[in-house]
Amino acid sequence: MSDDQPTLWDAVVAAEVVPDAPIAPAVRPAPRILRVSELNRRVRGLLDADAQLADVFVEGEVSQPSFPPSGHCFFTLKDANSQLRSVCFREQLEHATVRPMHGMNVICRGRVRAYEPQGTYQLYVETITPAGAGDLHARYEALRVQLAAAGLFDEGRKRPIARWPRRIGVVTSPVGAVWRDITNVLRRRYPMCELVLAPTVVQGVTAAPAIVRALQRLYAQPDLDTIILARGGGSLEDLWSFNDERVVRAIAESPVPIIVGVGHESDVTLADFAADLRAPTPSAAAELATPDATQMATILGRLRDRASAALMGWASQRRRLLDSERRALTGLAPDIDAARQRTADLVDRAGRAAGDRVQRRRMSLTGAGDSLRTLSPAATLERGYAVARTTDGRIVRDAGAVEPGDPLHVIVARGSVDARVEKTRPDADDELFS
Amino acid sequence: MTEPAELAALSDADLAKRPFDELVAALQQVVQRLEAGNAGLEESIELYKQGLRLHGACDTRLQQAELTITELGRRGVTGAEPAEEA
Repeated sequence: MSDDQPTLWDAVVAAEVVPDAPIAPAVRPAPRILRVSELNRRVRGLLDADAQLADVFVEGEVSQPSFPPSGHCFFTLKDANSQLRSVCFREQLEHATVRPMHGMNVICRGRVRAYEPQGTYQLYVETITPAGAGDLHARYEALRVQLAAAGLFDEGRKRPIARWPRRIGVVTSPVGAVWRDITNVLRRRYPMCELVLAPTVVQGVTAAPAIVRALQRLYAQPDLDTIILARGGGSLEDLWSFNDERVVRAIAESPVPIIVGVGHESDVTLADFAADLRAPTPSAAAELATPDATQMATILGRLRDRASAALMGWASQRRRLLDSERRALTGLAPDIDAARQRTADLVDRAGRAAGDRVQRRRMSLTGAGDSLRTLSPAATLERGYAVARTTDGRIVRDAGAVEPGDPLHVIVARGSVDARVEKTRPDADDELFS
Repeated sequence: MTEPAELAALSDADLAKRPFDELVAALQQVVQRLEAGNAGLEESIELYKQGLRLHGACDTRLQQAELTITELGRRGVTGAEPAEEA
């Protein structure tokens, strides 16, 4: 009997230690128990395997679109009876010609897949087209491509918006919330500017030419710094005049920077592309057009404080300068005395030095005189020496140079003696000191 | 750009007609000159006076500013074409 084979005995023990264990049911095949993730993966595999779901067109009404910071858009497509979760990722959304709006009828193209973590399936949208506006949309797209090719939307055309506008032109409907919003924003933010309103209708078939006329009236105005073209939200059809080629071209021709704020954040018209600056809403356009003067009081106060500080700083700096100059001056005074002292010393020393030199000269002159006198032949003679000369005048220095009988002329200190040589002793040389 | 000294010398009424940003810019210029610190005493005091005057003008404007609105086409002809110039 092998140890690792369960025995009947084992079963009995097991039954004993778990007394509440139910009596084993009749033998039948054990069910295959799936984990949740296994099941979701299986469903996903089924959906992925369906070729029709991989590329599908669905028509429906957009409900509750949300635009989280990720840049993606989540919404529900629905009809009278049913709903379909949908997602349009940022990359696709950026290239979409319409942004999903609540209530908008659209045709979405995409693929259906399961999202395992939540056990849901949804439509991953590739393109969104307004339903029932296929023709309109095709025109929009064609015009967008055409005007882009003409350079009307080039980034290089965008001009900076004046920072301190004095006159702002506004093209909008004078009735309704938009004009009121703009004036409210400007009263609050920057009431020191002047608004020039060129009223126009902004809806219906007459809107496009009317908007163009209003723009051109503003273009004829002198000294405008900025133009705002604005319209409130509405259906795709309502906003259609802002996709009109005449309007778009008129915007591109504006002699002053132009801000376009049409509809809501999600509405993008060709007018937006042609503007120097796109504002998400009319109120935002008014804000983008002006500095915020509510902070101006603070800025002005700060400027005044800086002026005061600068003046005080000026004064204290000059005072410091004066102080340091005064210190420098008082520091210089003892130097003058010392210099005077030094000068006096120098004069003294110079005088003394000159006196010494004269004295030394005098003393050395006397010495020289003494030496000279010592060296003189007269002095030698005076000391008792004599000079003997032969008749031809030669001085006798060698006894051998004369012969007995030679006459000699002997000079002494006082007078001279004529004498004759008696005898010569040339070898005797010590006689003088004997 | 108008010299701050010229602006500060204007009467209140004339000063009130100047654009707001011009006044602010002039005030900034005055402050910068003062801060440079190379003006003499009389000049510095004069600059300071100009600064105070410009600041006062800006402040008044800030308190009293009212949005001016001109509507084209309301005066004169109501036709579709531009009816008047500025």
